[in-house]
Amino acid sequence: MSTAVNRPRWTRQLAGLIRKDLRLELRTKETVVAMVLFAIVTLTIMQFGFGTRDDDLTRFTGGLMWVTLAFTAVLGVGRSYVAEREQRVLDGILVSPVPRIVLLAAKAIAIVIYMTITELVVIPVVGIFFVKGPYWDSIGWIALVALIANVCIALSGTLFSGLALFTRARDLILPVLFLPALVPVIIAGAGATHAVVGGPHDMSEYRGYCLFLVGYAILFLLVCIATYDAVFDD
Amino acid sequence: MPSSTTDHASRRVIGARAALIWGVIATVLVTVASVGVFLVAPEDADQGAIQRIFYFHVAIALVSLVAFAVACVAGILFLRTRKLRWDDVSVTAVRIGILFSVLVIITGSIWAKASWGTWWVWADPRLVTYLIVVLIYAAYFVLRSSVDDDRRLRFSAIYAVVGFVSVPLSFYSVRVAQSFVHPVVFTSGGANMPNSMLIWFLISLAAMLALFIALLEVELVGRRTERALRALTLRLESS
Repeated sequence: MSTAVNRPRWTRQLAGLIRKDLRLELRTKETVVAMVLFAIVTLTIMQFGFGTRDDDLTRFTGGLMWVTLAFTAVLGVGRSYVAEREQRVLDGILVSPVPRIVLLAAKAIAIVIYMTITELVVIPVVGIFFVKGPYWDSIGWIALVALIANVCIALSGTLFSGLALFTRARDLILPVLFLPALVPVIIAGAGATHAVVGGPHDMSEYRGYCLFLVGYAILFLLVCIATYDAVFDD
Repeated sequence: MPSSTTDHASRRVIGARAALIWGVIATVLVTVASVGVFLVAPEDADQGAIQRIFYFHVAIALVSLVAFAVACVAGILFLRTRKLRWDDVSVTAVRIGILFSVLVIITGSIWAKASWGTWWVWADPRLVTYLIVVLIYAAYFVLRSSVDDDRRLRFSAIYAVVGFVSVPLSFYSVRVAQSFVHPVVFTSGGANMPNSMLIWFLISLAAMLALFIALLEVELVGRRTERALRALTLRLESS
């Protein structure tokens, strides 16, 4: 029987890799719990960081939410290769006949799931903490932009965490690489949120930001496809 | 091989002559552009003398983007061929691109102070974009200095590509987010200035482009010389 026949389909490889990440997370509960706690702590600090005890920070909802999510994403993305690095699992994956792009997709999907779980807590908490006025009517729109932004964060984050993985002082390098590239996502995410909460409730503006995020995701997907092989080309 | 032939060959490999030629061209063009911009070009009716900074500010901004594009293309060529010279071109282009981007921020800031009375304007999409661009490319050197050997070259090439993709994204995101206070020089209908200004702008642009190529060549000569010297030292030590 030929090797090609024995090799599992890429969909099975992808499912296997995602299952591995999620199972590890379910057993340890290290990443998602830390991300959620970190996000709530950051939101609390934000309130005091403004230097005001004003209850109504509705105008700043977009900024508060997306700065918090960006820093939380750095934390989550930074953890994405920890299990592989510590137990040399990565060497096993790299010598197995798994295309690098499948590895990228698995990591990206895992990050999307972690971010989505975090946002399930963060988005309502932002509404409770900071918004005085209509918020819950717009929560579906906020969830939609968050979902698109998660794909952007996951794609760029997976690429940068792959690069940071092999560097000295990797925990310091990742934010330095990742955050500047995340600025457009923060601008668009905060802009879209502001368009529906605390802003002009302008749906054409909201759509523009969402389309921008879709463009960002497509562009980074192409860059990932073009370069991800070279990241692990040892 | 006779020593004169060896000298000639090594000079050709190192490329000192191209650096010299581009150095002369850049010097001439920068001198002509400076004289033209400060002494010949007409003064802007609205902004007065400070508007003259535009000739260098916009030219440097455009050439910095050219530098990052060169870095990106050289990065792709390195990933395809694994030839060291493409890494040399890529890293040098990023270095000059950052230098030019910092100059864009400084000249833009001076212009902002004169025009709007403040050193920094968050509503100016281009100034903000260049700040993000500098942050993106500063990370290139952080990454480069924290990995070794083959990975250093590979990761630098990958980041040069990713960085260049991030530039239009940053530009567009900042642009859609803010109202414009920055004067729009080029529109889809063409240049928004009289011909007497346009000619000096184009000369300034050519001068900055020549300066970029000259700096690139000089830096490449330096890198090649260093490598040749290292190889020679190794050869002498082993013989």
